[in-house]
Amino acid sequence: MSRLDDEIRKAFRRQQPSADFTERLLERVAMQPSPKPRWWQRLALLLEPPKLRWVAIGVTASLLLAIGAAQYRKLNQVVVQDDGKVAQTSPAPKPVDQETAGRTSASPGQETATENQTATRNTKHAATSSRNHRPALARLQKQQELKSEGEVAKETLMYALSIASSALNEAQKAVHDDGLKP
Amino acid sequence: MDKATAARLDDRIERSALGDQFAFEEIVRQHQGMVFSMACHFLRDRALAEELAQEVFLNLHQNLHSIKSPEHLTFWLRKVTSHRCIDQSRRQKVRPQVSLEDVPEPSMEATENDLFLSEMLRRVVDALPEKARMVVILRYQEDLDPGEIASVLDMPLNTVKSHLRRSLSVLRDKLSRTLGEVSI
Repeated sequence: MSRLDDEIRKAFRRQQPSADFTERLLERVAMQPSPKPRWWQRLALLLEPPKLRWVAIGVTASLLLAIGAAQYRKLNQVVVQDDGKVAQTSPAPKPVDQETAGRTSASPGQETATENQTATRNTKHAATSSRNHRPALARLQKQQELKSEGEVAKETLMYALSIASSALNEAQKAVHDDGLKP
Repeated sequence: MDKATAARLDDRIERSALGDQFAFEEIVRQHQGMVFSMACHFLRDRALAEELAQEVFLNLHQNLHSIKSPEHLTFWLRKVTSHRCIDQSRRQKVRPQVSLEDVPEPSMEATENDLFLSEMLRRVVDALPEKARMVVILRYQEDLDPGEIASVLDMPLNTVKSHLRRSLSVLRDKLSRTLGEVSI
């Protein structure tokens, strides 16, 4: 390193501003609007000790609500599955079978043909009406089941909400008591 | 900067960004010498340099959320100060521009007085073009290498090197003409 380098370094040494520099600056900063922190900075701020308790309470309440909602959804899904099972266990009679039955009954003679035709028509009508009524009955049954399970889910949810509410009340009371202490 | 100081400063930056005025004050006290000196050496006016330094710190206060680390803070301050100084110098049309040839010759032996030599050097640097002047300040006040200077001033590395070479040659030439027999 040359002497010139040293001399320039000496000439350009750091200097300090006047003693009241920082004070004047802080006064100007106080007059300015404070910068807005970003969302993650606000989140970090929430996790500071005094606010942590409120955050914990909020998280607990949300968790309880989420559990209640999940339980309710689960119950709904079970009901839907049951519907599917019922539809499979009671299938409607095939139209092909009824036609063959009609044909066999009509075969003995022409005299009895009209009676047989009427009988066939009656059978068809009965089959059609039972086909129409069976799903309606099943639907009614399922509606009743759904209603009763809905009631159960509602009760569970209400219970979860009451727990959350009591937890919130206790925490609020605790915070309030802390605030009153000297 | 050691790890403990860096961690402490990192904490101060985070706290300042969240509105902690004491943390911001600490940051200011730690960096005011650097910012003020850069401005003062560049502008050669203490009052103007203080005003510019205050503006730089006010700008920092508004942008604290964008500062990622202590190193980034130093880099940010150097960059903003350099650019503001150059802008200020360009705006300041009333400031008398002294050419290198017009820098007065010293009337006494420089070796007798280091302060005199320092003042002489500052005056010669003051006569350099703005960017070359800032390159010299960053090189000799902040001890930055040409690569760092290039990133602070958004300038190609070769331009920084040529500015440094030319400035040193001018300084050497001016001083040897002035001091004669003194080997610089």
